[in-house]
Amino acid sequence: MNEAKKIVLAEDNSVLSLLLKFRLEKEGYKLLIAKDGKEALELIEQFDPELILTDIMMPFVSGLEVISHVRNKLISQTPIIVFSSAGQEEIVLKAFDLGATDFMSKPFSPHELVIRVKRLLQ
Amino acid sequence: MNANTWQIILTIIQYFFLIFSISAITSYILLGIISAIETRSYMKKNSFVNYKEILSSPFSPSISIIAPAYNESLNIVENVRSLLSSHYVNYDVIIVNDGSKDDSLEKLIKAYDLIQIDIPINEQIKTKPLRGGVYKSTNPAFDKLIVVDKENGGKADALNMGLNISKNKYVASIDVDCLLLEDALQKLIKPFLEITDQKVIAAGGVIRIANSCTIKDGKLLEINFPNKWLEQGQILEYLRAFLLGRMAWSRLNGLLVISGAFGLFDKKIAIEVGGYDTNTVGEDMEIIVRMRRHMQEINQKYKVAYIPDPLCWTEAPDNYKTFISQRNRWTRGTIETLKKHKKIGFNKKYFSLGLLSYPYWFIFERMAPIVEVAGLIYFGILIFFDYVRWDYSLSFILLAYSFSVLFSIVAIISEELTYNQYKKKKIGIKLIIISFLEPIVNHPFILYAAIKGNIEYYFYKKIEWGTMTRKGMGNT
Amino acid sequence: MNEYNFILQYFNQFPLIIKVVWITSVILMTNVFILIIYLRYLRNKLRVKSSLESKCQMYFESSLITYLYSGNEEEDFSIEQKKIIKELKGVTSEAFKRKVLIATLLKLRNEITGEIADSIDKLYIELGLLQYPLSKLRHKKWDVIANAIRELTLFQVKGIQSVVMKNINHPKKEVRKEMQLYLVQLFTFKGLEFLNLLQTPLSEWDQIQLLEILQKSDDQDITDIKPWLKSTNESVVSFALKLARLYNQYEVKDEIIALLNHKNELIRVNAIESLNHLNVLEAKVVLKSNFIETSLDEQIAFVKMLENTYESSDKFFLLDYRNHENQEIKLIIMEIMKNLNFEEYYLYDTELFEDITNKKTTA
Repeated sequence: MNEAKKIVLAEDNSVLSLLLKFRLEKEGYKLLIAKDGKEALELIEQFDPELILTDIMMPFVSGLEVISHVRNKLISQTPIIVFSSAGQEEIVLKAFDLGATDFMSKPFSPHELVIRVKRLLQ
Repeated sequence: MNANTWQIILTIIQYFFLIFSISAITSYILLGIISAIETRSYMKKNSFVNYKEILSSPFSPSISIIAPAYNESLNIVENVRSLLSSHYVNYDVIIVNDGSKDDSLEKLIKAYDLIQIDIPINEQIKTKPLRGGVYKSTNPAFDKLIVVDKENGGKADALNMGLNISKNKYVASIDVDCLLLEDALQKLIKPFLEITDQKVIAAGGVIRIANSCTIKDGKLLEINFPNKWLEQGQILEYLRAFLLGRMAWSRLNGLLVISGAFGLFDKKIAIEVGGYDTNTVGEDMEIIVRMRRHMQEINQKYKVAYIPDPLCWTEAPDNYKTFISQRNRWTRGTIETLKKHKKIGFNKKYFSLGLLSYPYWFIFERMAPIVEVAGLIYFGILIFFDYVRWDYSLSFILLAYSFSVLFSIVAIISEELTYNQYKKKKIGIKLIIISFLEPIVNHPFILYAAIKGNIEYYFYKKIEWGTMTRKGMGNT
Repeated sequence: MNEYNFILQYFNQFPLIIKVVWITSVILMTNVFILIIYLRYLRNKLRVKSSLESKCQMYFESSLITYLYSGNEEEDFSIEQKKIIKELKGVTSEAFKRKVLIATLLKLRNEITGEIADSIDKLYIELGLLQYPLSKLRHKKWDVIANAIRELTLFQVKGIQSVVMKNINHPKKEVRKEMQLYLVQLFTFKGLEFLNLLQTPLSEWDQIQLLEILQKSDDQDITDIKPWLKSTNESVVSFALKLARLYNQYEVKDEIIALLNHKNELIRVNAIESLNHLNVLEAKVVLKSNFIETSLDEQIAFVKMLENTYESSDKFFLLDYRNHENQEIKLIIMEIMKNLNFEEYYLYDTELFEDITNKKTTA
């Protein structure tokens, strides 16, 4: 278990991506960045990460489809944390239906995200 | 004496053409100015709008996208995917398979894990019956998708079925082969929610031409400029129509048409007026005129809104045959609509609708090709009898030509100042060149198609009704 | 020279109208060429601008991230942070770069909360960016003012409300709207006090914006909304009804029930929807007794309410109206009866059920 744990992050906001990458790499994880759901799926299939962080609203392939693909097509139990905007309770419920592990509502505190990531990857 | 009478008749004819041209040019100039004012004010108001809130609010109104499909098997799966990827949250997508003879339905069932469901349909508008029934996905990720398989009845009939099925407050009609931008719904819903002193009954936005653009997985990746003059000319035409014409009409609240390619409607009113008319090839224009007329008759303040944002991209005809048949249909649609609602024309009870919009459409859209052809015939006769003063004629031809080039260039500049979508190098020069060429290479075909449309309308109108041809860009 | 004279002479013998046409055409053509030159210039300018913009943006993004992670507990600003501040300060005098910088800050600011968000707000002040919107609050162009207020809202700049408030009667509604958003962003429910005085309608769009700000704030301590439910401004009433739903204000149920007699139909419908959401079962008696007199939309809203709040005492009401002339109402009643498995359901309605499901149409 010497190798750093891999996390795929799907997020279309480039600064937020950069911020989280920085923050999580400081904690010793390896971050793979996708700017839409499609890229995320490619990274997930290629690297088989230990954790997936995905925004729900993304160009082309949505976060929901990412979850559905991971759980139903890849039959993988990799934990998934989804980011949603406030007020999207319905979508969050759908995300849980599809098998999301946890969710964070935007705007969120990066600090709290790190705590949740750590807990899931223990 | 004989020669004298001739002279008088000739002068009258000449003055008729002169006055027609001058008023056409004046109206274009006025529309251009009005649209500049309106565009500026729209840009100012919307430069700091945050569209995010409408996406996450539990109070954002529900929208149904209705997309009729007829023999679209080739691209249907991708097209549906693009419709499902809108950023708006509270919406569903109703695909109405209008009796396709291909395997569209099978492909959809397979791609989206559809199963047939039993739902009661509130048949507020009479339509052709269902064929395979109503389908929904078993995968929650495609929860927004509803597929309806019905017997063939034409585009208007399919849209009406969608109106019956939809449970939402607003409906968007769209051509299934249109590439809908992800932020289109949130932008187009804004006028409905924002205007408080009038009831917004419908709204439309800018349609762009997707020919030669790189599209992958239902997403527009790269905007390119096509090579054929025909396609380039249409791009120019769309820029002029959407950025200069419709913007101005929206300011005057006199818009008579929302492109059938994509428009948003208040469902309740659309149903109240009886939905789309299945007896015309111009159902997109006809329903707007009928909704306006209805609002005037019940004396309620209303508006047909329009926004200059590009909302969806569509394939335009890339060969003269399809192009001509498309324009032919548009011409017939216009004639049919104006004829059906001739009561409002020049009728002061309908205020600006009757005194401004209708006359404008009648004179400059409906009659213009006929006047133009009459002018050409007249000119031909003059040549034949050697009556032509070439130095006089040349001045008029040059006037018309330089005006049309100028108008195109103004449209290009207004596109650059607002959305600047054709960023790539060299497209600028191509746009300028086509501004000079378009009156020569495209216009004659438009004229030909319009005349053909007139002839077919008056002499062959029954024939086409039997076989329902779907109105679409038909380039697949 | 001769040729020139010849052309001039030739031109002079034209009738007036032809002269005018020739001159106009030449003017139009000249315009065409001037505009073409302008177009080329414009395209070039836009291209340079956009490449500069993306370069700046990349640079600002990485400086911002470095800045955020090079702070320490002991000092206000670490040495490295001071260095970045100095660098960024250098560009703030250029309007264009300043705009890109602010956009970059906001791009991150809007997505996060907590220490890092505070840190961005602090950076905004430290960079001296605050002076620009403040100086614009008295600008003569309304869109400049609106933009300035918006910026202050987004960075949650406190302590300047008295200056912002000077625009309370600004003639442009866009400016007033930005001001309302500012007040609510900073003072949440207390900021909503402007509703007491509001004369103009609050559009649905504005209402949604305000509600979202409230929802995202940490302060969820809602004030008394009763006065707004009684407001003479109909849009304020409709906004208050939304608040009642969002914050489950069961205690204002009497005020909402009173709204069932409001003169505006939309408000009556919204009131039923709110009662539905709040599960105010006692309202059903009133609604049932008035059912026939109410408008179609109200009837639909009420039947939908029964769908959510069904009690066995509603059975006879449903049976009474199962043949309602409106198809939508009929369908909802069917749905309720079906879902609840009324034992008598098929007894009453096999025919009716077939009549309205799509089974008939496929046959």
